[in-house]
Amino acid sequence: MGPHRVTNWNPLRCSGTALPTPLLLMAKIVAVAFLLGVDRVMPAPFLPFLGPLDFFAGSTAFALALQVIFTVSAVLLIFNRWPRASALVMGLAVLTAVVSSKSYYGNNKLFAGSLLFLTGLYHPRTGPWLLRLQLVILYFGAGLNKALDPDWHSGQFFHNWVANRLEQPVYLWANRFFPPLVLGKLMCWFTIVAELGFAGVFLALPRAWPVAIWGSLLFHASLLEMTGSTFNMFFYAMEAAVLAFVAWPRELIVIFDGDCGICNKIRVRLTQFDFEGAFSWRSLQSGIGDRFHIPRAALEERLYLAADGRISSGFRACKLILLYSPAFYLAVTLLLAAPGTAAWASWWRRILVALILAFFLPLFNPIGELVYNWVARNRHRISTGGACAVEPAVRQ
Amino acid sequence: MWPRLLLAAAWLVFQLGAIGYARFVPARYFCWAPYDTQTEYWVTVRQAGRELSPAEVRQRYRRPAHGFDNRSPQNVIDMFQQAEERYHRADPARIEMRYRVNGHIDGQWRWGPTE
Repeated sequence: MGPHRVTNWNPLRCSGTALPTPLLLMAKIVAVAFLLGVDRVMPAPFLPFLGPLDFFAGSTAFALALQVIFTVSAVLLIFNRWPRASALVMGLAVLTAVVSSKSYYGNNKLFAGSLLFLTGLYHPRTGPWLLRLQLVILYFGAGLNKALDPDWHSGQFFHNWVANRLEQPVYLWANRFFPPLVLGKLMCWFTIVAELGFAGVFLALPRAWPVAIWGSLLFHASLLEMTGSTFNMFFYAMEAAVLAFVAWPRELIVIFDGDCGICNKIRVRLTQFDFEGAFSWRSLQSGIGDRFHIPRAALEERLYLAADGRISSGFRACKLILLYSPAFYLAVTLLLAAPGTAAWASWWRRILVALILAFFLPLFNPIGELVYNWVARNRHRISTGGACAVEPAVRQ
Repeated sequence: MWPRLLLAAAWLVFQLGAIGYARFVPARYFCWAPYDTQTEYWVTVRQAGRELSPAEVRQRYRRPAHGFDNRSPQNVIDMFQQAEERYHRADPARIEMRYRVNGHIDGQWRWGPTE
């Protein structure tokens, strides 16, 4: 067994298969969340949507068979074994469970199952468009249903849900400053406009996709922050689905100061977690900067990342290195999904998602750049375990 | 490519059809209406002259006797009614359900033989 084959068993690796990296990553996020969540337990058929399935009503053997097929295909997918076929089988297992029982039926499982099913039907010529259309249809259906519901026009839905049922303290506090139902109405209309807007942008405005991706991520993260709930699979599936709109770079070159001890240590550490072998670390001393027309003085000040030729530097480059590392997404999914339904899990998820958002949101950039610049300026001094190979004064 | 594309297209077109169909019926299935309605309900079930306990209600309908559903009340009603129609023709029960939709004044629904 060659080293390449051994690497491919690595569950944190998402490249080198029949599926594009972002689609396999998306399927793995859904698979991991499913395996760690309550929905992995599939019930025996009960009030199925398809009549013939009533033949198996109450059959534990049917439920067990579905469970085994689902679990085996999920494990195969996670370990990169026949990932497209595994996603297809896993998706079919989830969809079969959904249509075989009205008590199991739920939009979150339906959407997650559909993502897996459509990933399984991926073809290089259709690209990720099947998955993109799935997200468009979901947002369109959700926005339309709300737009035609009087309780969403009046704000009654949101007020009843958040004030009466969830007793959400921030909403209750803010609501004191508004006439009755006005805050609820604002939230309802914001939701309607956002959902229909996402559908339109994702369908027809590729140039605005980055904005829609951020909007969608923030929309579902704010729901998690407000309720502490992932709505079972919904949070994971929705956040993962936007990966279908991400242009994953084929060439990632990190340009760093090869004479700096701490830079080299970071490079070694990050390379250990670069299971894709995606990042090519090149020292500025190699002259690689000339290829991208980056002045030597600029390269000596901060780290640069060239993603398919698109240049970013400093704190933004650090963030992109994380964002182009599938292992990062899978680690976050594990951290979010692992606590299960424990009482403290909702707070753990809120804190973790808030920290991740704060780190990646452009609003945090000024602070991030300040910290980055301080570290970059002092990198020759704070280098642990020895000084730089060549101190700046020596180089001059 | 074509078999995969046709299968995927059929699935996506089905969803669009379900979104359209939902405009004409009270239930919401396969039409992407997640968390669009808050239904709180209470049911009492009498079968063979006695009221079923909450545990018996859950066993019979796979739903609690008092609960919330994040969908249309018709989705909840369907589960009680269809469970009776499909699985309990021989031992029918009288169901009385009170439900509240998005905090509005209670609605009522009844099913089954009166004693």
